[in-house]
Amino acid sequence: MASWLLELWAAPAALGFAMLFNVPPRTLWVCGSLAIAGHACRKLVMVLGGDIVLGTLCAGLLIGIVAEWWGSRQDQPGAIFAVSAAIPMVPGTYMYKAVQGLLGIATLPHGADGTQLLVSAGVSGVTAAMIVIALAFGVAAPMLLWPRTAQH
Amino acid sequence: MQTIATAPVLPLDDILNLTLEAGLLMHQSGAGTHRTSAAMQRIAKALGAARVEVMISSTNIGVSVERAETASHETLTAFRKAPHMGANFAALSAVRRWLHQLEQGELDSQSAKLQLAEIARRPTHYPRWAITAMVGISCGAFAALFGGDIPAILATTIGAACGMAVRFALVLRHFKPSIFATAASFVGLLCTGVLAHWFSQTPDAARAASVLFLIPGVPLINGASDLLNGNYLNGMVRFAMSAVIIFGIAVGVSIALRILG
Repeated sequence: MASWLLELWAAPAALGFAMLFNVPPRTLWVCGSLAIAGHACRKLVMVLGGDIVLGTLCAGLLIGIVAEWWGSRQDQPGAIFAVSAAIPMVPGTYMYKAVQGLLGIATLPHGADGTQLLVSAGVSGVTAAMIVIALAFGVAAPMLLWPRTAQH
Repeated sequence: MQTIATAPVLPLDDILNLTLEAGLLMHQSGAGTHRTSAAMQRIAKALGAARVEVMISSTNIGVSVERAETASHETLTAFRKAPHMGANFAALSAVRRWLHQLEQGELDSQSAKLQLAEIARRPTHYPRWAITAMVGISCGAFAALFGGDIPAILATTIGAACGMAVRFALVLRHFKPSIFATAASFVGLLCTGVLAHWFSQTPDAARAASVLFLIPGVPLINGASDLLNGNYLNGMVRFAMSAVIIFGIAVGVSIALRILG
């Protein structure tokens, strides 16, 4: 139970970025709630046995579709909710590990074997790339799946 | 698409200007290429153009409007430089409302022009100190999501807020992303690392979360969305921008980690 309460931290994580992106103040609560919903959805998929990429794809689809629906009701561009709510799922740690591994190669002594560093950096980098693509596909899904209605 | 019936027909260069201004504002406020292009088409058509061609590259934005009349056939084309891509979602929201009013015929060309200029001039909703504090809290929340304890959350909040302050200071002095990302991630990680080292049982969660305020979320998501929508060049440019920032973060982090040990 305590681990599910942890998902509530997704709201402050999204709100910091929402303020950085200058989201209209009246829509802050939507960004926060969507961030929690998305993050909890990813956790649910992972608890049910899915991997992090599949979980992120489901969460991204949820965020994208709800944001577009709510945006068309409130006459706001759905992207502003979707992007702020998706931020807590951007794979910062994986990217950080990938580049950290690459920089580790720079500090290797002359002639040392860097295979281990290259492989771990590659694995983190590929995971990060797949998570970003899954997230972006979810956020862009309304525009891709209903190109006529979700015009703007 | 309906056209509004303005009594004297709007001159073509006014249509061109208004379309370009609105497109530029959207492009610089963080709209994806597809959305900006669709909005510019709608604006020009609402103002009375018969045919609109839009070209959006990462640093330039151009539009060509045509009007076919019985007597003459006019075409005008113009380009503007779009120096940087930021994020200002309140402006996106305001431009959308403005476009709605324009299409409904509630705005004449003069008031549309004034209102668009007013949207572009509008100050941000949140003062800089509030953003700095909230971004700190946001990184603290990331530390919690990574399984950090309470001292780790507090250390990350303070450290990331310091890093964010450095970032604001450097951006206002027009430093390039590679420089401000390096400096801000260095300060953020160093402050967080020192505090977490003293007080926390989970310093790794604090360290990993302390530089996330620099992650270029808008270019990453817009870049992938551009690629999926078929705007390949712009998508790659946005990814390249993100890669430079992430590389800057990594350089700052590696310097700070050498000091922290």
